[in-house]
Amino acid sequence: MSTADLLQFVASGLQNGAIYALMALGFTLVFASTGVINFAQGEFFMLGGMLVAAEVAAGVPLGLAVAGAVAATAAVGALIERFALRPARASGALTLIIITIGCSMLLKSAARHLFGPDERAVPAFSEGEPVAVAGAMVQRQVLWVVGLTLLAAVALTVLYRWTKLGLAMRACSVSHDAARIVGIDTARVVMASFALAGALGALAGAVVAPVTQTAYDVGARMGLKGFAAAVLGGLGDPVGAIVGGVVLGLLESGAVAFVSGTYKDAVALVVLLLVLVLRPQGIVGRHLGEKL
Amino acid sequence: MERRAWRTLASLVAAALLAGAVAGCAPKQEPEEGGGAQKEPYRIGVVVSLTGTYAGLGIPEKQAMEMERDRINSEGGVNGHPIELIFEDDATDPAKAAAATTKLIEQDGVLAIIGATGTAQTMAMRSEIQRAGVPQVSMAGGSVITAQFDPLVFQTPWPNRIVVPFILKTMAKKGYKKIAVISDTGGFGKDGHDIIVKEAPAAGISVVADETFNPGDTDVSSQLTKIRAADPDAVLMWNAGKEAALVVKGMRQLGMKQPLFGSHGNARKEFIEGAGSAAEGFVFPAGKILVPEAYGAGTESYRVATSFIDAYTKKYGTPPDTFAGHAYDAFLIVVDALKRVEGDVTPEKLRNAIEQTKGLVGVGGTFTYSPTDHNGLTESELVLYRIENGAWVLDEQ
Repeated sequence: MSTADLLQFVASGLQNGAIYALMALGFTLVFASTGVINFAQGEFFMLGGMLVAAEVAAGVPLGLAVAGAVAATAAVGALIERFALRPARASGALTLIIITIGCSMLLKSAARHLFGPDERAVPAFSEGEPVAVAGAMVQRQVLWVVGLTLLAAVALTVLYRWTKLGLAMRACSVSHDAARIVGIDTARVVMASFALAGALGALAGAVVAPVTQTAYDVGARMGLKGFAAAVLGGLGDPVGAIVGGVVLGLLESGAVAFVSGTYKDAVALVVLLLVLVLRPQGIVGRHLGEKL
Repeated sequence: MERRAWRTLASLVAAALLAGAVAGCAPKQEPEEGGGAQKEPYRIGVVVSLTGTYAGLGIPEKQAMEMERDRINSEGGVNGHPIELIFEDDATDPAKAAAATTKLIEQDGVLAIIGATGTAQTMAMRSEIQRAGVPQVSMAGGSVITAQFDPLVFQTPWPNRIVVPFILKTMAKKGYKKIAVISDTGGFGKDGHDIIVKEAPAAGISVVADETFNPGDTDVSSQLTKIRAADPDAVLMWNAGKEAALVVKGMRQLGMKQPLFGSHGNARKEFIEGAGSAAEGFVFPAGKILVPEAYGAGTESYRVATSFIDAYTKKYGTPPDTFAGHAYDAFLIVVDALKRVEGDVTPEKLRNAIEQTKGLVGVGGTFTYSPTDHNGLTESELVLYRIENGAWVLDEQ
């Protein structure tokens, strides 16, 4: 296998990995602040792409359409928290997880009725021929995918480390009761984490739609990938989410290169199982023990 | 106080739902479109995917059949009997397709079933079809439907086992002897892939790379990199989903200059929209409905197809695609057979009549069924298309 081919596999892995990382961040943020796996995360991805497609079709400029889709999906995330999950707050994680599954079905059906059953195309953020990056050819849109993922990761780190909201979110991930005792409005923090998860999912969906097209039913599969990436990296750890996403992307691309495209998903899942057996806290995760 | 109000509201809602359910069980009213016919309607069940992955295929199918039903009933029905179509949505789920079949047979007592949209759904219906002895006309393209022969089951689209040899012969004629195959792992892609690998030697073609991707994948550049390394003369892609656009864009990304050929599953406008300029020059086989001149002006096929295309375009605002055409053909076949049944129509008599379909001109081709051939189409119904300036044009044959 030539070096150029090898680099191409790495480029493909990083492209998918960046998307998985954004999805995993969404799972991880919600899990850290609530202990709940949000199975509607995949639908946030779908909403991001479909809303951009619909806005562009209605004549909204692309940049504004992306911003609008991210903001609208963040609002959907917050609404789900406020009206579907908060009323059932007292009934334990399992109930809440099942509620998120219900929300995911609702969003998917609503999208089908609003946008129709066909796939939709979204124009590339910047037109032009593919470019060579370190010997691999990539579409220009892929630079947007990787760049925006990095930007989101940096912004999230800043938020987590150096803002009051971030501090409150970290406090909630340790203990809700303790956070309330020191005066943190935990309900608001949980709502904010759902809104952020919505924004991240929508960003992933919007930025990848020009490459892949989008449809009302793309959410479930991407949700599964993002969840796997989050678990792989260590649930509840933002750094782990990014590491998990990139590792999963590279694993899949390596599976195509050295095994076969047919077993791509299987290879990735076998590695996930191995990691869970050998390092149940994930590649990066540390403090999961007491949460389970 | 508040809780009490809620409870009252909840019981009201429950009561309303219950009332609705009971009303739904009441005996079916006569169909509204009488068209002057007084006799009992002929009941035909239809199983289509109106939701789920194949909704984009199932909805035009339903529209085409509704339009034809209305036309025939307004012309007085078949032998004085109006046609009643009972639609069931299988949600692209084989289990739901089977359940819908049971319901249509047991509750509605249909004479025949048209459906399903997809191959897996069609196959899932088979045990119910066999149990009740009701004829089935499928609109799905999997070879397996008529290859696993059943006297009760008929099919309207061109199956892969007709289309694959056609495209392989075309590729060989154009001088491409070393090809790479890229297919999806879904039912249609896998069915086509297996036939390509089996039939390629007969056409004098060797397969030098054989890659697959999964429906829903967001990148196929790894697979294409392996194909690039194998240096084929041309690439043949077999799938029907939106990933087709990924393949054409990926080939452009990797600087691959080889011509790309596809399947009749790529005959969708959404593919051109998704692939944009990368789709230019893409060649695929399909029926003649996309460019009606292919039927040959003045022929009976041309007349049938254009009158369907015009009526459909007028009613729904967009021209019909190949899937609407398959549904039109399925309905036409059943209606034509009903006309030829003597005396009271039973599912068994109707099955025999469908099997005797001969020279029936439809949109997908001219159908002639026999006790051993329940597909009834040949390669001659296919033409080659090329995408040029974002539209389908006939390629030199």
